[in-house]
Amino acid sequence: MRRKGQVTVQALVFLIIGLLVGAAIGYFAAPKGDPTLLDQLNEKDQLIEQLRNELNEIKDQLEQLKQGSTITLKVWAIGPDPPSEYRYKNFELAADILNMMLKDLGANVTVEIEGQFFARPVEWEQYRQNFYQAFAAGEAPDVYLTGHEDIGYLAANDFIIPLDDYIEEYWDLIYYDFFPTLWKSVEYAGQKWGVPQDTEARPLYFRKDVLRQLGWSEEEINALPEKIKNGEFTLEDLLQVAKEAVDAGLVERGLVHRVKEGYDYLQFYLAYGGQLYNPQTGKMVFNTTAWGLTLDWFYRAVWEYGVISPNQFSGDWDADFHGPFTEGRALFLSGGTWHKGEWINKGLLTEEEFIEVVGYALHPAAKPGGKPVTLSHPLVYTITTQARDRGLDKLAFIMITLVSLPTFNSIHAVQSAHLAIARSQISETKYSEDWFLADVAYMLEYTTFIPNHPDWGKYSRVVFDALRAVETGDMTPQEALDFMVNELQSQIPDSVEFVE
Amino acid sequence: MSDSIWQKEITAEDILKVFGLLRRGFISLAKYIIDPIRRFISKLGYKLAIYVFLVPSLGFITLFYLVPFILTFLIGMTAMDFTFKWEWVGLANYIRILNDSFAPKIMGNTLFYVFTTLTLFNVGMALVVSLITNHIPDHIGSAVRGIWLLPRITPSTVYALLWLWAARGEENALINWFLTVTGLSMVIPTRTWILDDPWVIVILVNGFVGTSFGMIVFTAALKSIPEDYYRAAKVDGASTWDIIRYVELPMIKWPLLFVTAYQTLSLLTSFEYILILTDGGPGLYTTEVWSLYSYHKAFRSYGGTVEIGYGAALATILVIIGVIMSLIYWRVFKFKEMMVEPKIEV
Repeated sequence: MRRKGQVTVQALVFLIIGLLVGAAIGYFAAPKGDPTLLDQLNEKDQLIEQLRNELNEIKDQLEQLKQGSTITLKVWAIGPDPPSEYRYKNFELAADILNMMLKDLGANVTVEIEGQFFARPVEWEQYRQNFYQAFAAGEAPDVYLTGHEDIGYLAANDFIIPLDDYIEEYWDLIYYDFFPTLWKSVEYAGQKWGVPQDTEARPLYFRKDVLRQLGWSEEEINALPEKIKNGEFTLEDLLQVAKEAVDAGLVERGLVHRVKEGYDYLQFYLAYGGQLYNPQTGKMVFNTTAWGLTLDWFYRAVWEYGVISPNQFSGDWDADFHGPFTEGRALFLSGGTWHKGEWINKGLLTEEEFIEVVGYALHPAAKPGGKPVTLSHPLVYTITTQARDRGLDKLAFIMITLVSLPTFNSIHAVQSAHLAIARSQISETKYSEDWFLADVAYMLEYTTFIPNHPDWGKYSRVVFDALRAVETGDMTPQEALDFMVNELQSQIPDSVEFVE
Repeated sequence: MSDSIWQKEITAEDILKVFGLLRRGFISLAKYIIDPIRRFISKLGYKLAIYVFLVPSLGFITLFYLVPFILTFLIGMTAMDFTFKWEWVGLANYIRILNDSFAPKIMGNTLFYVFTTLTLFNVGMALVVSLITNHIPDHIGSAVRGIWLLPRITPSTVYALLWLWAARGEENALINWFLTVTGLSMVIPTRTWILDDPWVIVILVNGFVGTSFGMIVFTAALKSIPEDYYRAAKVDGASTWDIIRYVELPMIKWPLLFVTAYQTLSLLTSFEYILILTDGGPGLYTTEVWSLYSYHKAFRSYGGTVEIGYGAALATILVIIGVIMSLIYWRVFKFKEMMVEPKIEV
């Protein structure tokens, strides 16, 4: 039985390779009137001929396939923002198209996608917990979407398989086109362990209407992103402007940031010159000076300037994050590009209102002339070791390849306001129509990733505890800094290098 | 050959022979096996019977209490995480607890939470409600007790979410609205209760649920005080307060001690309402209790890793505290005496 099943999977894998090849032929051969594409087509003539031959071979193999069967691929993906549902739905769409092709070819095999898209109220923590429990029970999904920073832990503990060979195999078809920096986010111990699914930038949003009320001219408001980009508007200026707005009674809060543990606030540490990872040593980095300044900035923001609520980290996403900003009760919001998608989808702002009252920029530099920052957190598709044990790793990778095609990925990117993963996606019809995504694309030049280190979770928790303690007034910046150093030195001494 | 046997016609005589054989068999069985066992049992007598009857409950205790505790204790000596591997680290987790910056604060929270909820509600309010409802007409008393049972029978998530709504900061949220219309807002200003006074909400929510347990036990005990005692007291000119002070309270001393001990242990390990209401916040571990801390460490981490081993070590500490508290209650409240003979007529 197992032998027969393996033959079926192999035959299907070959068939899908053929279909992909066909799709590639179609993609390059289709008249688009674009001279660059025609150039590419000419260059790839030889490849296309080779692929045609492979396709014929696959057809021959398919003729030997007597018995029909359904192959089920288990996929798990998470938002948790609901508009990101195409991280999962694209698999269903791709499977539908694949099955139609299979039927047309007379192949008696279908691919079925089984799995789940997890959205709020399920948060990342529960999602991860579900995965590890399912894994322990031998019921892990074949394809597991997760944050790239999980790769270190997942790879080091044999949860996922390296994908270098597969990526290499399909490099010329699709992966050559991915933004090179994204591949860095899936690397661990010299190998690639995932395929980037999307990325984003984390802008500092600001309310234009509040700035107008503060007396800013339209030119000054429109120039703010550029000023931030040039290091002419710093974190200190942010505090000052936010305080003016609060003091003038224009807003209740000067700045709102995320209400739960996360990564957004790391941008302030980066702005102060902090570094998170040293690729040379493979260790995470703790810059004492930068952390000290970061903690001090947050302390002053809450307790001296009164622009951040001391209970911001205990808040509710709607009541203390989305609500205050979209209703004009907060001047600045440290968020992500996907929040624009969330506000429009939730009806908190219309597209027109967003254009009228919301501006966005990088997170400011710490000092005049310094470099502004943003942080990207690519989500990645991984393949579990259990998929390999089930003989489904190749099929899983082919499905990942299909949903990574610009057409599919753009459905997700546009609906959820995430950024493109491939260069050709920028010119994809749907994507190119989204002005916001095009507008924030430049931010990726200023981005950083968090480390793919197995102990990142512990580092991250210590940062969160310290920042929360400073904001609530439970610790002074110095106490919080001492706490961070002590905790990291006692918990993960071999994983962190301390620099001044 | 075998065919011929089975084809033979069975007569009544054959059946009788079989019965005879069976009878002799049973007699032999009784004589040589059952009788010796019976004699052995009767020799061992009473003591053995006790153990035989205890076997089922001992089995359950072993399975559901002892084994999980041993497992928790053993996991507490590992660095187990999501890989579920038994990576032994000895007492490292316990040493870490000693050096944990937040442990003293969380232990303080736990003691405050247990003591306050226990005295104000689980024993205090339970006693007050039982005594009052025992001194008013029974149909009204039963109705009042029924209302107090509502939090207990409401699903915990629904109940906690209702409180979250009631405790919101808007002027028309239930608590603020109540304070305003009754004029109490002059004394107790309206506020966002969960953020400004999280402990008040945490204790009220747990207390309203906890009250019902003690209320039922105390009411049952009060109802079983013979009517003669009340009559005798009244004949002697005792007031209601005197009856409570000199008749009822002494009579329900043992249920009182039992509820105190039981609810202490219960509160020490309960965290579900705190999890829903504040998740240990607002701010830095403001309402984090030890059991919730253990849960957070073992099962929650944004960055993708959890510390099941450390969480188990924290839980083990809680078990040890529970056992110590039980022993203290056992000795101080003289539970042994309570177990010997009933102190009130039932």
